[in-house]
Amino acid sequence: MANYFNTLPLREKLNQLGVAEFMDISEFADGVSALKGKKIVIVGCGAQGLNQGLNLRDSGLDVSYALRKEAIDQKRDSWKNATNNNFTVGTYEELIPTADLVSNLTPDKQHSAVIDAVMPLMKEGATLSYSHGFNIVEEGKQIRKDITVIMVAPKCPGSEVRAEYLRGFGVPTLIAVHPENDPQGKGLAEAKAYCVGTGGHKAGVLRSSFVAEVKSDLMGEQTILCGLLQTGSILSFDKMVEKGIEPGYASKLVQYGVEVITEALKQGGITAMMDRLSNVAKIKAFEVSEELKTIMRPLFQKHQDDIMSGEFSRTMMEDWANGDKNLLAWRAATGETAFEKTPAGDVKIGEQEYFDHAVFMVSYIKAGVELAFETMVEAGIKPESAYYESLHETPLIANTIARKKLFEMNRVISDTAEYGCYLFDHACKPLLADFMKTVDTDIIGKNYNEGKDGAVDNQELIAVNDAIRNHPVEKVGAVLRKAMTAMKAIKTA
Amino acid sequence: MINPVVHITHLSLQYAHHVVLDQLNWQILPGEHWLIGGKSGSGKSSLGKALAGLEKTSGDMQFFFSESSSLPARALYVSNWYQFTNLEGDRNFYYQQRYNKQQRNDTLTVYAELMHYSKEENLAFEEVEKYLSLFDFIDFKNTQLIELSSGEHKKLQLIRALWLKPQLLIIDEPYTGLDKASRDKLNRFLEELVEAGVHLVLITNDENIPRCINRFAEIENGQIKRLPSIHHLSKEEMRKQKPLPYFLQQEAKEAADVLVHMENIHVRYGEKEVLKNISWTVRKGEKWLLQGHNGSGKSTLLSLINGDHPQAYANEIHLFGKKRGSGESIWDIKARLGIVSPELHWYFDKTAKVWQAIASGIYDSIGLFRQLSYEQQQKVTQLLDFFELTADKDRLLTSLPLGKQRLVLLARTIIKNPSLLILDEPCQGLDHAQTEHFNTVVDELCSFGKTLIYVGHYETQLPSCLDNKIVLEKGAVKTIQKIVEQTTAIL
Ligand SMILES: NC(=O)c1ccc[n+]([C@@H]2O[C@H](COP(=O)([O-])OP(=O)(O)OC[C@H]3O[C@@H](n4cnc5c(N)ncnc54)[C@H](OP(=O)(O)O)[C@@H]3O)[C@@H](O)[C@H]2O)c1
Repeated sequence: MANYFNTLPLREKLNQLGVAEFMDISEFADGVSALKGKKIVIVGCGAQGLNQGLNLRDSGLDVSYALRKEAIDQKRDSWKNATNNNFTVGTYEELIPTADLVSNLTPDKQHSAVIDAVMPLMKEGATLSYSHGFNIVEEGKQIRKDITVIMVAPKCPGSEVRAEYLRGFGVPTLIAVHPENDPQGKGLAEAKAYCVGTGGHKAGVLRSSFVAEVKSDLMGEQTILCGLLQTGSILSFDKMVEKGIEPGYASKLVQYGVEVITEALKQGGITAMMDRLSNVAKIKAFEVSEELKTIMRPLFQKHQDDIMSGEFSRTMMEDWANGDKNLLAWRAATGETAFEKTPAGDVKIGEQEYFDHAVFMVSYIKAGVELAFETMVEAGIKPESAYYESLHETPLIANTIARKKLFEMNRVISDTAEYGCYLFDHACKPLLADFMKTVDTDIIGKNYNEGKDGAVDNQELIAVNDAIRNHPVEKVGAVLRKAMTAMKAIKTA
Repeated sequence: MINPVVHITHLSLQYAHHVVLDQLNWQILPGEHWLIGGKSGSGKSSLGKALAGLEKTSGDMQFFFSESSSLPARALYVSNWYQFTNLEGDRNFYYQQRYNKQQRNDTLTVYAELMHYSKEENLAFEEVEKYLSLFDFIDFKNTQLIELSSGEHKKLQLIRALWLKPQLLIIDEPYTGLDKASRDKLNRFLEELVEAGVHLVLITNDENIPRCINRFAEIENGQIKRLPSIHHLSKEEMRKQKPLPYFLQQEAKEAADVLVHMENIHVRYGEKEVLKNISWTVRKGEKWLLQGHNGSGKSTLLSLINGDHPQAYANEIHLFGKKRGSGESIWDIKARLGIVSPELHWYFDKTAKVWQAIASGIYDSIGLFRQLSYEQQQKVTQLLDFFELTADKDRLLTSLPLGKQRLVLLARTIIKNPSLLILDEPCQGLDHAQTEHFNTVVDELCSFGKTLIYVGHYETQLPSCLDNKIVLEKGAVKTIQKIVEQTTAIL
């Protein structure tokens, strides 16, 4: 199979990368009617499968689950998930032929095999839905021409998809129709109905394309979301310990700090995050982040290039074929880092302290978000897509670090994200080695404001504020965040 | 002179600009067991927490614990409101979570929780068995914390406290959510503890207390005020009755004659059968009382009606004339009914302000996510006024005294003027006067054609409009009957 993106002429590449339209809630006025009375069969009952299914059923749709035979025979967790919630469960042969819409919610790595098994059983003119486009775009999976192919991708873990739905809200969602597979022109209507069924329409929906979703998702997850947070956590911790800060404190400052800092990001963008610092600290953070951006820009560009050319997915798929040799080795190595092995100390750290004592972390996150966003936009991805895959998701991933450090983050994210994360981390650490020599505890570990009188130059502060507030990620962010009004309050551990 | 167990001088506590305790002086002498009661919002919980070192206070607090006693020399505060965390320390729970089955465990099991506690506190694990069995908790060992009802959570907290036997035990609202039998058992245990050398402080207005309680007080102007007996506690003032807002004096539109119809309902979790063979019909205008012990299946039954339970799809249930699973969404169902329950309250959005909490009822969401129209804002304003909450409208819901929080949730649930009102122990944790007020409002609301399902343990504290009664026992219907003469017949 050929990489779908690479088969496209340049004009069409840019065309598809550039699909990004923020949809107004009024576009969802038809509710779930395009799928009403139709049979939805979900393949796989894991994190997304179960929770999307529960929501769709609670929205009045007819949902059942097709699982592989072994899962049913061995009564695996996926079987229990579905049966304990009173869903009909059956084999592919039993259920797929009856389906009007088949939703493939198995792990991305398995998609080709699953589609090979499922597609011949699908009825003429049915719809196939995904929550991530890797299989179509990177593997170039060809789908029968009578089948409509859509994507409804919630930008949150499955448990949140359910929790937010039951609160009467939803999670931000990307929807798309594959231009090669929309024979009846019903793709968009069904994608919208599916999205309403999961509650996504209440939290902001971005009309995207398979190509835009995949290329931006890969870029975001391996750079700012996972790679950068991993590198930042390890570097910060190691620096503090090297400089004699108590390891338990250092561990806690990093583990929970990423969550507290990015909570401000979530609510009010980079501006809000930077505004949590005093004026002196903000100016310092700005300088540090500019320096970090200069050093890391080529690395971000390399990641984006490899994603666009298909080089990234090619090497990763080689590793899949090789029994995940690299992935497993890198995962084990992460488990051995000092940060991972040092439990958070039993010390109270106040909410503001997480900012004041970690100016470096703030600078680093700012640099990462802006770089990821800038690099994506330069590559032809629309600001709206770039926003979702950078700034929007950063707090979600940071939450997982707060729970159980990098281990938990790497467990929750997909294998694809994890693989990219290690690639980034391995390249980024040596890149920053010289810079890190200049870092001291004033910007990581101790209160930056201590011993300073807080005075700043007016002109300098104005210029810095201006640069922060007028960055394009802040412009698009302000619009998109307005659609996601339900923000949880800051929590501290 | 005998040494006091606790000696407090000039204890002060304030939140922002609100002075709660003001230079309070107090002694607990050996052999004294206190009840602190009085109005909600007077500072009793704050004092309880302060005693256990959980509040930032000024002044002096000295403890003279017995050195010869084998009991832990410390003060333990059992809170009225208990929040557990999932395995990852997160708290983003939703109240329906215990009905949604997921294989991945999100919280500890009761057993694991107790094991953990025994290690932490150095307790012999065998000893907890006694309390588990006496509170009928043996069956719950493998239950996940998230699956417990609020009454069951209360029991678990009490079990932990009884097991630890600290020299000073402070229990805030010990009886909330417990049925009659469990309350009596609790009182017996408390007597036993006292005999073993524990000093008790109970924070409650309940009159059904253990005999060992021999000192009574309330907090007035931030100071302890001793009282001769429980009958001297000051009561909440009765509120002036106001007319219901006009929109609530209109009968809710309801085309169906039968609102709920269930036939041979079964709900199982693995081997455990929570509801057995239940058939029940609720007709338009009927006012039902639903009763049963803790764990008899009341909340599960209601969750089937409220659209919160996935097993509704596998059962023969008709709501508002339509079979469940025939294409309706849970939002269609929720739009026609209003519910207040301890679980809803417990998991409610902690960041919601009072007016937002009320307004969110329009959309049945937990928290407000949309703009309100002018007409909707008017309704919020009228309800705030009716419940005398206008001054509190911008405060966090969670910062209000419990009684007011319940009124806010009632306001939230009636703002859409639903045809069916489900009130699951709405007066849990309220004192007598508050309960009476709440129930008067319920009676008035229901006089405009509403259908009601009301869960309440205490026969003396029910609305008077109830005309039908269903009692569950161990998941099955025990009795189902008309209430012939109002209230007196069910005493
Ligand atoms: N996780 C997220 O945050 C997130 C967010 C948005 C989109 N997505 C997308 O959602 C999709 C599903 O992800 P997930 O995280 O929900 O996966 P998951 O939790 O790992 O669940 C995968 C399910 O697929 C089944 N499965 C595994 N291998 C299979 C095979 N070879 N054939 C058939 N079934 C198989 C598993 O059941 P058995 O092993 O028991 O058969 C399991 O029920 C992916 O495309 C992912 O990119 C995920």
